[in-house]
Amino acid sequence: MFLFVLRRLMGGLPTLLLVTVLVFTLTRVLPGDPARLLLGEEATPELVAQIREELGLNRPILVQYADWLWGLVRGDLGHSIRGNEPVAPIIWQKLPTTLELSLFSLLVAIVIGIPAGVLAALRRNTAIDAGVTVMALSGVSIPNFFLGILLIYVFSIRLAWIPPSGYVEPWVDLQKNLLLMLMPAITLGTALAGAIARFTRNSMLEVLSQDYVRTARAKGLEGRVVVYKHALRNAAIPVVTVIGLQLGGLLGGAVVTEQVFSIPGFGRLLVDSVFNRDFPVLQAVVLISALAVFLINVLTDLLYAAIDPRIRYH
Amino acid sequence: MSNRTLRAFFANRLAMAGMVILLLLVLGAIFAPILVPYNPTSTDFSALQQPPSSKHWFGTDQLGRDIFSRVIYGARVSLAAGLISVLLALLLGGLIGLVAGFYGGWIDDVLMRLTDAMLAFPFLVLAIALAAVLGPSLQNTMLAIGVVTTPVFARLIRGQVLAERPREYVQAAVALGSSDGRIITRHLLPNILGPLIVQVSLSTATAVLAEATLSFLGLGVQPPTPSWGSMLNDARGYLSQAPHMALFPGLAIFLAVLAFNLIGDGLRDALDPRMKK
Amino acid sequence: MKKWLAAVVLWSLGGLGLAQTVTVGLDADPPNLDPLLSSALVDRQVQNQIYDKLVDLDENLRIVPMLATSWRVEEDGKVYVFNLRQGVKFHDGTDFNAEAVKFNLDRYRSAPGSRRSGELSLITNVQVVNPYTVRVTLREPFAPFLAILSDRSGMMVSPTAVQRLGADFGNNPVGTGPFKFVERRRQDRIVLARNENYWQRGLPRIEQLIYRPFPDDDVRVANLLSGAVSIITPVAAKDLATIRSNPNLTVNNFPGIGYQGIWLNHTKGPFTNKALRQAFAATIDRDVVDRVVFLGTALPSNGPFPPGTLAHDKAIPVPKRDLALARQKLAEGGRPQGFSFTLTIAPGPVLAQLAQVYQAMAAEAGIQVRIEQVEFGTLLDRAAKLELEAVAVGWSGRPDPDGNIYDFVRCKAPNNYSGYCNPRVDNLLNRARTVRLPEARRDLYSQITKIIQEDLPYIYVYHPQTTIGVSRRLSGLPVIPDGILRFRSVSLGGQ
Repeated sequence: MFLFVLRRLMGGLPTLLLVTVLVFTLTRVLPGDPARLLLGEEATPELVAQIREELGLNRPILVQYADWLWGLVRGDLGHSIRGNEPVAPIIWQKLPTTLELSLFSLLVAIVIGIPAGVLAALRRNTAIDAGVTVMALSGVSIPNFFLGILLIYVFSIRLAWIPPSGYVEPWVDLQKNLLLMLMPAITLGTALAGAIARFTRNSMLEVLSQDYVRTARAKGLEGRVVVYKHALRNAAIPVVTVIGLQLGGLLGGAVVTEQVFSIPGFGRLLVDSVFNRDFPVLQAVVLISALAVFLINVLTDLLYAAIDPRIRYH
Repeated sequence: MSNRTLRAFFANRLAMAGMVILLLLVLGAIFAPILVPYNPTSTDFSALQQPPSSKHWFGTDQLGRDIFSRVIYGARVSLAAGLISVLLALLLGGLIGLVAGFYGGWIDDVLMRLTDAMLAFPFLVLAIALAAVLGPSLQNTMLAIGVVTTPVFARLIRGQVLAERPREYVQAAVALGSSDGRIITRHLLPNILGPLIVQVSLSTATAVLAEATLSFLGLGVQPPTPSWGSMLNDARGYLSQAPHMALFPGLAIFLAVLAFNLIGDGLRDALDPRMKK
Repeated sequence: MKKWLAAVVLWSLGGLGLAQTVTVGLDADPPNLDPLLSSALVDRQVQNQIYDKLVDLDENLRIVPMLATSWRVEEDGKVYVFNLRQGVKFHDGTDFNAEAVKFNLDRYRSAPGSRRSGELSLITNVQVVNPYTVRVTLREPFAPFLAILSDRSGMMVSPTAVQRLGADFGNNPVGTGPFKFVERRRQDRIVLARNENYWQRGLPRIEQLIYRPFPDDDVRVANLLSGAVSIITPVAAKDLATIRSNPNLTVNNFPGIGYQGIWLNHTKGPFTNKALRQAFAATIDRDVVDRVVFLGTALPSNGPFPPGTLAHDKAIPVPKRDLALARQKLAEGGRPQGFSFTLTIAPGPVLAQLAQVYQAMAAEAGIQVRIEQVEFGTLLDRAAKLELEAVAVGWSGRPDPDGNIYDFVRCKAPNNYSGYCNPRVDNLLNRARTVRLPEARRDLYSQITKIIQEDLPYIYVYHPQTTIGVSRRLSGLPVIPDGILRFRSVSLGGQ
């Protein structure tokens, strides 16, 4: 088990190295001079040159890359150009917020998606099944920024139940935190709920048609037991895969959701660093999101083993 | 695709609903100049943010432009962005996938590592970074979305090629001395068409959504060209005074994406033998 | 009151306890609190609470004493002798005295990377006469000098803290101001606490001052409405009515000192032709801009100097939209059918809206405007290289008129984005720097304004107002046109 994880992580190293090259290249070809942006309306050519020198932007690109990579190896993410402070603490400050948002929306997605999918499979080819399918596809199709705006309009502006935006750390005021997170979590979780519902339905249908389920039923086991003990467990594998695959998408969706609800998270950091041409921050954000996707994939593999006793890792 | 597959697809009511929506959108996009009552970019400073009325069916925006006309014209941007970027991804990804799958060896290794690296990024994060690099415009948005979608097609096609390659008909063609290009176009492509069409329609849904998102973030189409995403972005500031500004472009995006998803879903079901009744 | 508002107010009161805390909502997170390195305007909102300056501005933009209690100007304006306030200490206990002033001015003048070196480049020597007297010598007379010391160049920071912290000083700023720096979380909050030993007895009145960044206009307003913050600046025009209609809130808006408009490139594209510049300028209806985009909160502009500032000349009319004139100028310029050009703007909803208004107005004269949105850093870079045909960049304004024009329309000036060069204007600009009599200066600036309104390196369209949304509980906020909120004498009343 441990060896498997290690092998899996080592196997990802070349890909991750390539990821760093891509990230670095992307940020370096971004138009716009961070020095110029930093100086704003007071820039003079001399100052711009001086700042570029200070930031090391005049060095050969390969030297800059090697420098950055060496920093990464030592756990140094660099220094924010705009904030004049190390990148790492900025990231650690934002990450928990986005993590909370992602987990919350994952919860929303699972709580809605799995029962809906199971229900649709059990009531196959009925109005319920069609209804779930339409709802699921609608959930996947609605742009999350539009959904967010709709929620704000209905619950904040019309009904005035929930503040339209803002963020409070859970350890400061948990109740308020949860209230404020509700709309963003629904906004972000809806698409995932749709995808989960679809896959749960299809996966369940497949399992339900298999012999051992039929046998269990023939043996006179009660329907509910069959569904929960045998079918759902086996149907869960593809569903876990889908959830794993979609978590990366969740991170992307968080960018927009955080923008709509003004949540000071990782996604906002991405957009801000793009607009501020804050290369070190942008590099770190993109790199860490790629790393997160990679780790989620490893985690998904491990989850298989937990769900399906037939799978063993050596 | 077999006749049976097509019949299954046409019997799927949801998929047909998707086809109808798509048809309406395409017709709207093509005949926009005839259909719209106003020039979508002409402003009227005496009629700002008016609610829907018989004069302006969807109301007017913050510059007094007719939202109905803008939504119709927006279909052009949205469909173009969706279709062209996916076409681009299909060509690029198809080339990569065919080459990697057909030749194998180190070429395959290099190409697959590259797609792995690209797939390691969350789709939207990479699209945002690329769009920012290229600068905001419709062409660049399509390019960014196309590039980001490429690995999906590269992987799909490579997988299909690897599955088909050992089959007899391919081996026979190889033995008969057919050229590589001929084998690919005559033998491999027709056999992987099904899954490809499904992926195209699903990817188009994602691409339409991505264009709207980039425009919403201000990284897409430039004003005053009407794009649903940027219309929604404009509307966000006037939500309490003029909610209609958000409603119509939002619904338009939703319907367009839904149409492609319905079609893709219906195609997948029709192609999947297990889903047959 | 809305239900959730009430709930949120209760929560926030519970969280704050009884402390007299004022929370301020800004539109950006101040990037750097060290005046040496600070270049973003929003920095000044916070800096002005932590640092005192040698001199300050009053409601009428007159220079008033702050850390300098009085001053003498000698040798025709080439020497300034400042008498300093005694018994003032920095937050870290360091004494404020003539040595500290010399340290600060020398640091701003010559430290590597100083953003202040330009403003202070005329200083040749700073001399400590006695512990509370400083003598500053300039290379030549420079009328805007005191006004410059009322801004970041006049902010006094603790020499010991700078020596101890080096480049990290901006993250742990120490001044003599009414509030001490406590902590900051990037993109989230900056917390300041009352300076118990402030030299002005009884001030400040509140215990804690917190700054929070809300880049999104709607969010800023929502936080004010919910009571999470007591004051916000700026307020988007569309939100003013919402705030006014709330019985607990009030809007405070007053003319600012900056301007907004469009640079026209004299070195490439259609605007090398003066008649075409005049044609485009004649299509602009400043009243429509004010009404449609700013809902009546901007002042149509007649030049670089807004009403209420020293150099403003009421006799110069605000240019009116004149389509007949525009067509006549098009014909004169050899393009009777019109022409097209690219207007480059920074991203943002208001700017995009503004650009589309210009576009619509120009179209009626046959002038096609292509709008190009470019991220701000790129925009400044390309503008400075004179690569853009027309670019919408404004200026936040400076209290002295020189700060609104000298670095902009002079030949090869750093912020001259038109490539405009007129020796006559340069001559007048330099004279206006050396003359000290206000009337004489105003007259010179009026001459300059008239010339540039004819030559059009820049179309001055409007002067933005400073807009503040504030809780009625808060009082004692002075109205100073530079737009900086000074919390020294602010107090927070009961409900």
